[in-house]
Amino acid sequence: MARQAHAYHMVDPSPWPLTGATAALLLTSGLAVWFHYHSTTLMTLGLILMLLTMYQWWRDIVREGTYMGHHTPPVQKGLRYGMIPFITSEVFFFLGFFWAFFHSSLAPTPELGGCWPPTGITPLDPFEVPLLNTAVLLASGVTVTWAHHSLMEGQRKEAIQSLALTILLGCYFTTLQAMEYYEAPFTIADGVYGSTFFVATGFHGLHVIIGTSFLAGICLLRQIKYHFTSQHHFGFEAAAWYWHFVDVVWLFLYVSIYWWGS
Amino acid sequence: MRLGPTATVARRAFASAAAGHGSHEGGGKTWKVLSFVVALPGVAVCMLNAYIKKQHHSHDSPPFTAYSHLRIRTKPFPWGDGNHTLFHNPHTNPLPTGFEGPHH
Repeated sequence: MARQAHAYHMVDPSPWPLTGATAALLLTSGLAVWFHYHSTTLMTLGLILMLLTMYQWWRDIVREGTYMGHHTPPVQKGLRYGMIPFITSEVFFFLGFFWAFFHSSLAPTPELGGCWPPTGITPLDPFEVPLLNTAVLLASGVTVTWAHHSLMEGQRKEAIQSLALTILLGCYFTTLQAMEYYEAPFTIADGVYGSTFFVATGFHGLHVIIGTSFLAGICLLRQIKYHFTSQHHFGFEAAAWYWHFVDVVWLFLYVSIYWWGS
Repeated sequence: MRLGPTATVARRAFASAAAGHGSHEGGGKTWKVLSFVVALPGVAVCMLNAYIKKQHHSHDSPPFTAYSHLRIRTKPFPWGDGNHTLFHNPHTNPLPTGFEGPHH
């Protein structure tokens, strides 16, 4: 092999961008087919291809970073510079839902009764389970920082324990939200209140599930398998950034939709 | 590199400060204490609060009114009979025609 005189990662050709793009096309067209023709075949196909792509692409990256030594400090810097615009784009994704919510709630139309919450809507009490959910997510933000410090100090056992605790709190949040969804006296079909509520909190819930998987299925497993060192653990940091982002989105959801909006 | 005594002292101070920052001794302990003394008790208090408030709930749903801005069905849902939402609860979610079952 030729000697490489720089620290950058020259990636090998990979099929995953192609299978990922195919999965995206199948998933979107599959969703449209499901909505219009009530057939889930194409969507399921897209979902399977997407999950296979995610698994294999990230498996390759873990191999390149952990075993092949491609993630040199400048490459890690590049990974950081990639994660920042990704989370920024997620911020704007949620900004759209907040815009829809405030557009509808600040000047409620006569059709809604000219009030917010609209006539006939009984909102959830923000100081019951939603407050508990706020405490759960804030607590998980503390435990994930404990995990990060344990990792940096080489406290292997404590890092595993605190990471597991963070994941448990994430699962607890998801369970509570599922119960709230079932108990809610309104549905996604209850006008603009229902649609703004369930689209915003639903996408947030999806992000909590993704964040929990990132922490549990990838970071905890990799920590147990000795992939992380006290100096090199960007995969964990990316998951922690993502988790804090999900936490902050919840605070905005809680204050505006659950509290002010009720 | 030759340095005067002042520069050497300053450099040593910077080096030890950087080392102290880098090893981060105690950071893990602080966050562990915060987890067990602040975060988790906070969750416990909120659990208790949610539980106590739930006890005072009345189980009566408000009487059904067929508002045109609620229970919207412009086309059937792609699941089930197309008339029930994904998290449908027969006790709290009426259909466009009213609650299902005899008890309402």
